Amino acid sequence: MTESPLRLLLDFDQQAQRDRSQPPAFLHRRDRKFALLCREQGLVPDAARWLAHLRRLSGPEATPTPTEQTLSSWRRITGGFAAAGAVLGIITMSGLLFYEGGQRINVTVILAFVLLHLTLALATTAQAMAGWQPWRRLLQRFGKTAEDGAFRNLQPLLMARAAHLGGLCFAITGLATLLILVVIQDLAFGWSTTLDTAATGYHRLVQAMAVPWAWLWPAAVPDLALVEATRFFRAGDGHGSQPALWGQWWPFVTMLWGTWVMLPRLLLWLLTSRLLRHRAGQLLANHHAMHALRYRMETATLETGNAHNDAHDLPDTRTRSDLLPLPDSDVLLCWAGAGEPELPDALYSGRERVERAGGRSSLAEDEQALRAIAGHLADHPQAQAVILLVRSWEPPTGELEDLLNSARRLWPTGTSVALVPLAANSLHEPDTRQIQPWLRFAEKIGGDFLRVSLPPLYPQSPYTGKDRAL
Amino acid sequence: MSQTPVFAVVGHPNKGKSSVVATLSQNDAIAIALEPGTTRRRQAYPLKVDGQTLYTLVDTPGFQRPRRVLEWLEAHSVSASDHADTVRAFVTQHQGDGRFTDECELLTPLIEGAGIIYVVDGSVPYSPEHEAEMTILRWTGRPSLALINSIGSDDFSDSWQAALGQFFQVVRRFDAVRAPFEQHLGLLRAFGQLEPDWEMRLEQATHHLSEQRRQRRHQAARLIAGALEDMMSFREKRTLTAGQAAGISDDALADQLRRQWYRQQRKREQTLRLDIEHLYQHQQIRRQEAELEWHSEHDLFSENSRKTWAVSRRYLATAGFGAGAVGGAGIDALTFGSSLGTGALIGGLIGAAGSYFYGDRLTLPALNIGALRDGLKAATFGPVQDTQFGYVVLGRAVDHWWHISQRNHAGRDLLELEPANHHWLELLDRTSRQEIQKALEKGRRQRPLDDRQRDRLVAALEQAMAAYDDWRLNRT
Repeated sequence: MTESPLRLLLDFDQQAQRDRSQPPAFLHRRDRKFALLCREQGLVPDAARWLAHLRRLSGPEATPTPTEQTLSSWRRITGGFAAAGAVLGIITMSGLLFYEGGQRINVTVILAFVLLHLTLALATTAQAMAGWQPWRRLLQRFGKTAEDGAFRNLQPLLMARAAHLGGLCFAITGLATLLILVVIQDLAFGWSTTLDTAATGYHRLVQAMAVPWAWLWPAAVPDLALVEATRFFRAGDGHGSQPALWGQWWPFVTMLWGTWVMLPRLLLWLLTSRLLRHRAGQLLANHHAMHALRYRMETATLETGNAHNDAHDLPDTRTRSDLLPLPDSDVLLCWAGAGEPELPDALYSGRERVERAGGRSSLAEDEQALRAIAGHLADHPQAQAVILLVRSWEPPTGELEDLLNSARRLWPTGTSVALVPLAANSLHEPDTRQIQPWLRFAEKIGGDFLRVSLPPLYPQSPYTGKDRAL
Repeated sequence: MSQTPVFAVVGHPNKGKSSVVATLSQNDAIAIALEPGTTRRRQAYPLKVDGQTLYTLVDTPGFQRPRRVLEWLEAHSVSASDHADTVRAFVTQHQGDGRFTDECELLTPLIEGAGIIYVVDGSVPYSPEHEAEMTILRWTGRPSLALINSIGSDDFSDSWQAALGQFFQVVRRFDAVRAPFEQHLGLLRAFGQLEPDWEMRLEQATHHLSEQRRQRRHQAARLIAGALEDMMSFREKRTLTAGQAAGISDDALADQLRRQWYRQQRKREQTLRLDIEHLYQHQQIRRQEAELEWHSEHDLFSENSRKTWAVSRRYLATAGFGAGAVGGAGIDALTFGSSLGTGALIGGLIGAAGSYFYGDRLTLPALNIGALRDGLKAATFGPVQDTQFGYVVLGRAVDHWWHISQRNHAGRDLLELEPANHHWLELLDRTSRQEIQKALEKGRRQRPLDDRQRDRLVAALEQAMAAYDDWRLNRT
C-alpha cells in the first residue's frame, strides 16, 4: 500500500459521504462491477484499489480535494507547532543560561524545567489516548475541524503528533543553543536551593538523573566533589575559589537536555505517528461505509428487466358515449359463442333468422352464415339491420374485423350492423368498462355500418328504442 | 453452459399478459390497459445477475386470427411430426404481412426455443374460442405452462383449470396484481420445472430475488432512520436586521416560521416516500401520490394522524424507563457498582415519569424569539419537543413502506394509505422500543447519532417493520 492510512481514510470518508446521495442500485452496480474486474485480474478488492479505480474513471480533480485541504490544514498546524517550538527552544535555553557574570546558572532550575517539560509531554500523550480535546473550540473557531465523519476521532492524535513535533524542535534548538553558548561563553553553573539539602543528597539526585548515559559518557556525571564545590548562596560572596569548576556542569546539562527533553519527545512523536496510522487503519476497517461497500462487492447485482418503459405509449382509451338504440331487426348473428348456452328471450323473440359464427365454427361456416344472411336481406328489402351478438368480456379481435369486412362486401348496400355486447349473465347489463373497447372498435371500423347498442333486458328493456348515453 | 431460458407470455388479447410480465420483471412502466392492441410488438425483459442473463420473459401481443392461422397450418401439414416445422413455415411466410403481424410476433420466440406461458383470465367464463390458439401453441411443441390470472372479481378458475389441463403440462393460478412475493418465486420455480436444463437458473434467480428483497427491507429501514433523524432535529431559523424586526410583530414572525417549518417537514416526508418507492422500483406512483387523499385528511400534523400513529402513554413510559435507566447506569458505573443499581432505577423512573406525563399530547416545536443584539434578532422554530411526533412520522413511514413492498408492479390503482386502527408498535420488543426512543430523544436535542447508534436504530426499525408486517398478516 503506497498511500498513507490517514489519506486513505480521509478519501474513503469523503467518497462515503458523496455516496450518501446516490441511489443504492447505482452504488451496488458500480461496486460489484469493480469487484468482478478485480476478480478477473486476480486482485483482492480493497479500499485503496477501489478509490484508485474511482479516481481513474473520474479523471484528475480540477480543485483541491477535501482530503488535500484537510491534510494541508494539518500540515500547516504541524508546521506552526514546529516553527514555534524551534523559536521557543532558542529563547528558553537563552533564558535558562542567562549569565551576566554576577550570578551562577542554577542547575536546579534546569532540572525543574526538564521535569515540567517531561510531564507536559506525557500529559499530551495521555490526553490524546483518552480522546480529550481541550483545544477543540480553538480549532472550531478557525474552521480546522471536521465536525462529522471518521476523521473527527483522529483529531486528538493529530494534535498530539503536532505538539510532539513542536516539542522535538524545541528540544533540538534548545540543545543547539546550549552547545553554542558553551563554546562562545564561559558559563558558570552551580546549584542552589532554599531547602536544607546536603551536597550528598543533591549528588544522589543528579546521579539518578544521569543513569541513562553514565555508561556512555562518565564525564557527564558530576562527582560529589563538584557538587560540593559548586553550591552557591545568593546572599554569599558569590565567588568561589576555583572558577574553572563552575563550567564542569555543561556535559551533564547537555546530556540532561538530550536524554530527558529531546529523546522522550522523539519517542512520543514516533509512538503517536504509529498510533495514528494504526487508528486510521482501524477506523477504515470499521468504517460504516466499508461494511456496506463489502456487501455491495460481494453480492451480485440484480436487474429484473425494468429498463423498458412504454407506460406512455398507450392506445386511445378515451371514454366513448355513442351508444345507439337497438334497431328493429329480424336477423341475429351470434359471434364466438355469444348467447350460449341459451339465448335470452328478449333477444330471441321476433328474430326470423339466427346464425352463428366465430368460436368453434370454421371459417367456411362463417362464410356460409354471412351468405345466408345476405340471402335473407335480399328477400326482405325492408330489413336494414343485423344484430351482432358478442360476449362483452372478450375483446374485439382481427377475426371479427375480417367477418365484418366480408359482411360489408356480401350484404346489400345500406345494411347496418348493431353490435350488442352481452354480459356473462345475460339478464344483466354488461359492465361499462367492458363496453368501452366495443365502442372504440365500432369507431375504428367507421361509417354508419357498425354501431353499438345495449341488449334489451327481460322482460322489457327501458332502453330499447331510446337514446342512451353511457 | 445450457442455453438461457426464454419464456414467451402469450394468450388472447386483454387477459393480463403484460400484467404478469410487469409483476415478474418488477417493471411498472409497461403499458397496461384494458384495450386490445396495447402490446403491439414483442418485448424482452431479461433478468440479469452481474450482467449475465438467467432468464428472459417476452411479452407478446395477443392472438387476433387464430382460426385462420390454424386453418393455414392444417392445410400445410401432413402429419404430427411436421407441426413445429409448419409453424415455423407460417412465420417465415407471413413475416411482414399485415394480416398476421400479431401472430408472427408471438410465434417468433416460440420457434426460437422459448417456453410457453399461456395466460387466461379466470374471472370470466371459459370460452371455446381459445381452443384454436391453444392448438396452435401445442403445434409448436414447446414446453408449456398455463396461468390463470384474475382481472375481475368473479371466479371461473375451476372450469379453466379443467380445460387448460388438456393442453398444457402445468396449470397455475396467479393473480398478477395481488399475488404476494412468495408466489412470484413459486411461479418462477414452476417455470424452471418445464425443462430440466432451466431448473438451476430459475433456482438461482429466485435466490437472488429473495436476497434482493431482504436487502431492500434493510435499506428501507435506513432511509426511514435518516428521515426520522432529520425531522426530529429540524430547526427553522431566521435572522432579522433591526429594521426588519421593527416591521414585523412577534406573532407574525412566529407564524411565518411555523409555516416554513411545517412545509420543510412535509417536504422531507415526501422525499422519503419517493426514496422508498424508487427502492422497490416503483417509478410511476409519483403521479398518483399527488392525488392521495390521506395527504389532506391525515396530514402529518393533523389530530387524526396523532390519534392513529402516536403511541400510548404506557408505551412511552416503558420506553422512557429504558432510556432513562441507561443514563442512570452511568452513575452506577462511576461508583463501580457501589450504588447497587440505584442510579439505573432512579434514571429509569425519571425517564418513565417524564414520558408518561408529557406523552399524551402532540406538543409541537419550541418557538424561540431572541432579543435584539448587535442590531440583529434571531428567531428559531423547532426542533420538535415531543417524541410523539417521531412516532407519527415512523408510523406513517412504515405504513407506506409496507404498502409499497407488497405492491406488485402490475398494479395501476391509486395508492391509498388507510390509517391503522391499532398501534402495532405495541408488538415491538423492549430493546427496539428503547433504541427508537433514545434516537428520538437525541434528535429532539439536536445531537447527531454516530454510526453505531444509527446502526442500532436501523436494526430497531427493521424489527418495527417486521412487527408491522406480522400485525398486517394477522389482521387480514
